[in-house]
Amino acid sequence: MLQRPLRRAVLAFGLIVGLAPLAAQAQVREVVSKQVSVGRAEATLNLEFSDEGALEISLRNGSVLIDGERVGSFEPGGELDTAWRELLGRAVALEDGPLSEALADWTIPADLAGGLGDVARAIDRALEESLDDLDVQVDAADGTVSISIGNEDSFLRALLGSTDRIRLLPDALSGLGSDVRVHVGEDVEIGEDEVVAGSLVVIDGDVLIEGEVQGSVVVIGGTLDMPEGSEVSGAVRLADARILRNEGSVRDGVVEIDAGADEVDVRVDRIRDEVRAELRRELRPADLERDGDGSAFVAPLRSVARAAGGIIENLLTILILGLIGAAAVVFAGDKVDVIAETARRSPGRAAMVGLAGSFLLLPAWILGFVALVVSIIGIPVAIAWLPLFPLAAALAAVVGYLAVARNTGEWLADSHYPWTGWIRKSNPLITMVGGLLGLMALYVAANVLSVVPFFGFVTGLLLVVAFVVTFLAVQIGFGSVLLTRAGRRREYWSTTLDADAAWEAAMSVEVEEDEVNATRRPGGVGGEEGGDA
Amino acid sequence: MPLGGPAVWAGRRGEMRRAILVALLSAVAAPAIHAQNMRTVTTSRQLDDDQQVHVSVEYGVGRFSVRSVGEGLLYRMNLRFDEDRFQPVAEYSNHNLALGVESIRRSRMRGNRESGELELELARGVPMDLDLEFGAVHAELDLGGLALTDLDLSTGASESTIDISEPNRERMETARFEVGAAEFEVHRLGNLNAERIEFDAGVGSLVLWLDGEWQRDARLSVDMGLGALELHVPEGLGIQLRKDSFFTALDSEGLVKRGDTFESLDWNDADHRVTIDLDAAFGSVKVVWIR
Repeated sequence: MLQRPLRRAVLAFGLIVGLAPLAAQAQVREVVSKQVSVGRAEATLNLEFSDEGALEISLRNGSVLIDGERVGSFEPGGELDTAWRELLGRAVALEDGPLSEALADWTIPADLAGGLGDVARAIDRALEESLDDLDVQVDAADGTVSISIGNEDSFLRALLGSTDRIRLLPDALSGLGSDVRVHVGEDVEIGEDEVVAGSLVVIDGDVLIEGEVQGSVVVIGGTLDMPEGSEVSGAVRLADARILRNEGSVRDGVVEIDAGADEVDVRVDRIRDEVRAELRRELRPADLERDGDGSAFVAPLRSVARAAGGIIENLLTILILGLIGAAAVVFAGDKVDVIAETARRSPGRAAMVGLAGSFLLLPAWILGFVALVVSIIGIPVAIAWLPLFPLAAALAAVVGYLAVARNTGEWLADSHYPWTGWIRKSNPLITMVGGLLGLMALYVAANVLSVVPFFGFVTGLLLVVAFVVTFLAVQIGFGSVLLTRAGRRREYWSTTLDADAAWEAAMSVEVEEDEVNATRRPGGVGGEEGGDA
Repeated sequence: MPLGGPAVWAGRRGEMRRAILVALLSAVAAPAIHAQNMRTVTTSRQLDDDQQVHVSVEYGVGRFSVRSVGEGLLYRMNLRFDEDRFQPVAEYSNHNLALGVESIRRSRMRGNRESGELELELARGVPMDLDLEFGAVHAELDLGGLALTDLDLSTGASESTIDISEPNRERMETARFEVGAAEFEVHRLGNLNAERIEFDAGVGSLVLWLDGEWQRDARLSVDMGLGALELHVPEGLGIQLRKDSFFTALDSEGLVKRGDTFESLDWNDADHRVTIDLDAAFGSVKVVWIR
C-alpha cells in the first residue's frame, strides 16, 4: 500500500526540492460517477473520475475482480464479502468527496486469513491508488509551490523518459521566485480574467494564456499560445517547446532553453533524418507505381490477365444463360417459340411495351403488396408477393432475352458470315447459343481490344454499344413476354403453314452442313452446289 | 353532435385495437410471477456543467418514481430488478443520459408491478429534454423543480400519477403524453410552462388537473379511444373546448356553447386561456371546477 505513494512523493520531491522547502499535502480524486450494484452473487463498485479514469471492483460468484482482472477469490457470505458489502452500503448514501474519503479510509478486517488478507489488501490498494490524486501544495516560508499532476504516467515519462528534459530543468526553473504553480502532464488555460500570482511551470502540456501571469512562464515539452491581451510579467522560457502565438505582452522576453551545441547538432541530425524519411515516404508511391513491386514488368501481363478474366466472364455468362435457355426450351419450348416469334415480328412494339413494363415494375410491386395487405385474406399472399414478384420479373427478362438471342442466332445462321456455319436453325438450343455469342460478341471484342495500347477509346465505345444492344434485347424480350402473357397467348399466326416446306427448309440446312463437311473429306462428293443450296 | 367520418372512425378503431391489445397482454403477463433473483443498483453522477441534457428513461415493470435533486448531482438512481431478466442501463455521454433497465430476454417480459422498483432523481434547474417510457408500472412522478425544455412521456398499462409541483422555469414548446391502457392523472399542468400539451390515450381513465401557474395561453389536445376524461379546471382560467367525438357524453357544467365550441363564462376576460381540442371515440368527458 505504501509503495505507490512513496514513489509519488519521491517524484514530486524531484521537482519541489529546487523550488521551496516542503510541506506537502495529498488530495483525493474527484469522483464524477458512482455505481453500486448488489445482488445475491455480486457486489460491485464502479467509479468514474473527473480525469476520465475509472475503477471497477467486483466480488462476483466467488471471484474478486479489479478492473476485470481476477485478483483472488472469496467466500460468499464470508468476512471479506460482508465487509465489502458494508462498505458499499455506506457508499450508496455518499457522493464525491465524502465518498472518496470513505472508500480510501476502508479498513481491512483484522481477522482475515492469509489468502483473504492479500485479496483485501489488493482491494484496499486499488481504492487508494485510484482515489488519491497527486496534487501537492507546498507551503514555504516565503511563498507557495503548488504541483498538479494530471497524468502520473506522463509525469514519469516527462521526468524519467527524457534525459534531455532533465538536463533542461535547472536552466528552465532557475530564479522563478517563491510562488510557483507547476502542472505536469496536463493542459493549462489561464482565462481572460484570471491572474496567476507567481510563476507558471508546465511540463508535458500545452498552455493557453489569455489573462495575466505575474511571474515567468516555463513550458517544457509542449506549446504556448499567447493571444492578444495576454500578459506575462516575467520571462517566457521554452525548453523543448514552441510558441504558437506571441501576440501578448512579455516583459522580459522569450528565451529558448537548449542543451548546448551538441544537443543542437543532435537536433539538426534528427530533423535531417525526419526530412529524409518524409521525402522517402513522399516518393514511395511513385516508386511503387513504377517499379516498386516489379510491376513495370508485370504491367502488360496484368492487362492481358484482366482481358482474359473479362473474356472468361463473358463466356461463363453465355454458358449460364445457355443452360437456362436449354431448360426453357426443354420445359417450355412452345412458349419460347411464341415469345421469339413476337420479338421477331414486331420488335419495336415489344421494346416499347418492355420499356413501359420496366418503369411500372416498382409501382406494381408496391401497389400489389398494399392491395394484398388491405384485403385481410391476401396477407399470406402478400408475404410471398414480396420476393416472388421481382423473381418473376427477372425470369421474364431473362427468358425474353433468350428468345431474342434465338432470333439473333437464326439471323446469323442465314447471314452466311464466316464462323456462323455451325449454327443450325433446326436445333433451337444451338441457335440460341449462337445468338448469345452474337449478342455478347461486342463485350468479348472490347475485352480483347483492352490489351492493345492506345485503344482505350475504342474499347469504351464497344462497351457502350454492347450495353445498348443488351438493353434493347432485354426490353424487346421483356416486352414480348408481356405481350404474349409469358408465351401463353400467340400474337401472330402463320397464315400459310406448309409443313413440308418447313421440313425441307430445315433439312436443306442440314444437307448444306453435311455437304460442306463432305467437301472437306478427301474423295468427298458434291461441293459447290451444296454450298448454295 | 358531429359523428365523425369513416376515416375518423377507422383511426379510432386502430387506437382501440392497440390499447385493448396492450391491456390484454398486460393482463396475461402480470400474474406470471416466478422466483426472482433481485439485485439492487445505486448509481449517481456529478453535474459537470449547466448545459442542456437529453435524458431518456426506459422502465418496464414495477414501481417507478421521479423527482428532482440538488446536491450538485446530475442524477441519482436506485434500481431494484430481477437480474435474471433485466440489466441496468446508466449511460452518459455528450450530455445524453440513458437510464433504466433493458430486458435480457426480449421475447419474455414477465413480472408484476410490485416486483421491481426504480427511484430516479434528476438535477434541479438544469435544462433538460426528458423522454420517459414505461410499461406496466405504478408510477409516481413529480416533475417539479426540473427545468424541462421538452417532455415526451409514453406508457403502456400503467397506473400513473404525475405532479408538476413547481413551475417549470424553462419554456416548453410541446409536452407529449402517450398513454396506452392506464389510469393516468396529472396535477398542476399549468406549471409545465408548455405552449402545447398533447395527450394520446387509448383505453382508461384520464384525469387532468389544469391548476398550477399558467404563464401563457396554451393549447391542450386530447385524443382518446375509449375511456373517461375528467378535466379539473381552476376558477379564473379561461377554457374553450372543441369536441370532435363519435359517441362521447359531455358533462359541460359551467361552460356555455358558442357555435361548435364550449367556453367558460370568463373566456374573454381570463388572464390565461387554454384551448382544449378533444377527439374521442367512446366514453365520457366531465368538467369539474376547482373552487
